[in-house]
Amino acid sequence: MKKKSLTKEEIIHLAKLAGLNLTDKEVEKYKIQLEETISYIENLNELDTEKVKPTSHTTSLTNVYFKDGQQNENAFSLSAVFRNAKNKEKNYFKVKKIF
Amino acid sequence: MIFGKSILSIFKLIKKKEVSGKEVGDYFLKRIEKYNSKINAYLTVNDDYKTGRIYKSDKNRIKLPIAVKDNFCTKGIRTTASSRVLQDFIPPYESTVTKRLIDAGFFILGKTNMDAWAHGSSTETSDFGATKNPWNLSRSAGGSSGGSAAAVSSYLAPVAIGSETAGSIRQPSAWSGVIGLKPTYGRVSRYGLIAMGSSLDCPGPITLTTEDAAFILKIIAGNDKFDATTVKNDVPDYNLSLKKKNKFVIGVTDEYLNGVNQEIQNSFDVLIKLLKKLGHKIKKIKLLSPKYSISVYTIIQRAEVSSNLSRFDGIRYGNDRTYFGSEAKRRIMLGTYVLSYGYYDAYYKKAQKVRTLIIEDFKKVFKEVDMILAPTTPVTALKLGEFEKYPFFGEMMDVLNEPAAIAGLCAINFPFGLAKRDKLPIGLQLMGRWFEEENILNLTYQIEKETDFLGVIKKGISNYPD
Repeated sequence: MKKKSLTKEEIIHLAKLAGLNLTDKEVEKYKIQLEETISYIENLNELDTEKVKPTSHTTSLTNVYFKDGQQNENAFSLSAVFRNAKNKEKNYFKVKKIF
Repeated sequence: MIFGKSILSIFKLIKKKEVSGKEVGDYFLKRIEKYNSKINAYLTVNDDYKTGRIYKSDKNRIKLPIAVKDNFCTKGIRTTASSRVLQDFIPPYESTVTKRLIDAGFFILGKTNMDAWAHGSSTETSDFGATKNPWNLSRSAGGSSGGSAAAVSSYLAPVAIGSETAGSIRQPSAWSGVIGLKPTYGRVSRYGLIAMGSSLDCPGPITLTTEDAAFILKIIAGNDKFDATTVKNDVPDYNLSLKKKNKFVIGVTDEYLNGVNQEIQNSFDVLIKLLKKLGHKIKKIKLLSPKYSISVYTIIQRAEVSSNLSRFDGIRYGNDRTYFGSEAKRRIMLGTYVLSYGYYDAYYKKAQKVRTLIIEDFKKVFKEVDMILAPTTPVTALKLGEFEKYPFFGEMMDVLNEPAAIAGLCAINFPFGLAKRDKLPIGLQLMGRWFEEENILNLTYQIEKETDFLGVIKKGISNYPD
């Protein structure tokens, strides 16, 4: 099995994309584990899939639309919406400054 | 009087007024108090049971106890998915599965332990401690629905709800020696189930008898306007069709016996002899090696995990992303990688193509056979601690469960004997065609009537007397 290698920078970049703060130790650990897993999953290349269509779902599905003007039975009251929020002010969620 | 009774038997006792709903509820509370600290099956016991409030409202209604995996949103009852991110989350709504159970007369006894976010096959990734296997407390109960399987096998609940992405109902049921049914994808609503792999997730019952599995499936199955992936197919009366003495053509394949422990293979052989004696036909079939399923599953599931867990930002509910455990972070990282620019075609799209091959492979085989018989797991319950040593050991342990999950098939685990070496339950499974739960339930029922599953379920419960 050919071993796939990732750089430390790639791991840090992935963590940033995923919104995770990793310690140096975690970066090192996930680098090794990701390399190992990715090397394994490359066994799919043993199968010829050139003419195969990718699956999008396993049962025949059709779109379901919400009709205009239809009542949303599961709409929450404001108190239910805010009940689990850790940081709120009046009827707003408080978040960190982005800009 | 209640000890060891199936939920259908309890239902009949209550209807005949031989026992009251409150007596049943108090009985299970007492057992939970006595044994749960040893097994760690439950994370939360419903306060309304403890205070007796459930018996005061709607007095004429029958109230049956059921344990529910902690990734189903239950209105007003803490729901954590065994993660500290959600350690104090109180859902403002009821999942469709629990809503249908409540409407049918059930009342949630408690919420059961699981691998955090259902990531794992041992409940060891739970932020609230592993669930112990009731057969041997130094062993894993399996996972991710380990709490639900352990609760049923030690009779801390007469029946439980689990969820499966690839093995999470069948594998813990096999290791804990009970029945676990994974319905066809789309048969049961995922609304209110904390999502892991959305194209794979499926709720299902964990029970002591085949009749109970049929009974619960009938209640929870069916189209749901809140889950667009549920199908409109009619829900048959599964209990009625159990009684037919159908004859089936059953496929067996060497691909599913590679690396399987010899004692499990022996059980498999004993069952094949019995099935022939009962008039069923056994047919050798050839399937794609399940080793490709490990890769397809790892890619698709990690991709869906990274997308599904992105909503946990700690703003509207729960804690922020620093609360994720190591397994969730590892999965998010790999999922982000396989979906990222430049790698999408090589991994995610490739996996979805091989998924098509796996589905076509099953379709071909199901032209010749009605269902497939295989072991559920390659080994009996492992010692606690074995899993953390490897980055995707769970996927290896679930190798015999992944193909059916990837294809969206229905499948059922039932116990069939104990291994002599470690005295732990052996689980075998039947995988059926899409939406043919009736057939796999029917054959499981025939096996139950003929063998009582070699006494495994009763023996398991007898380890935990009143």
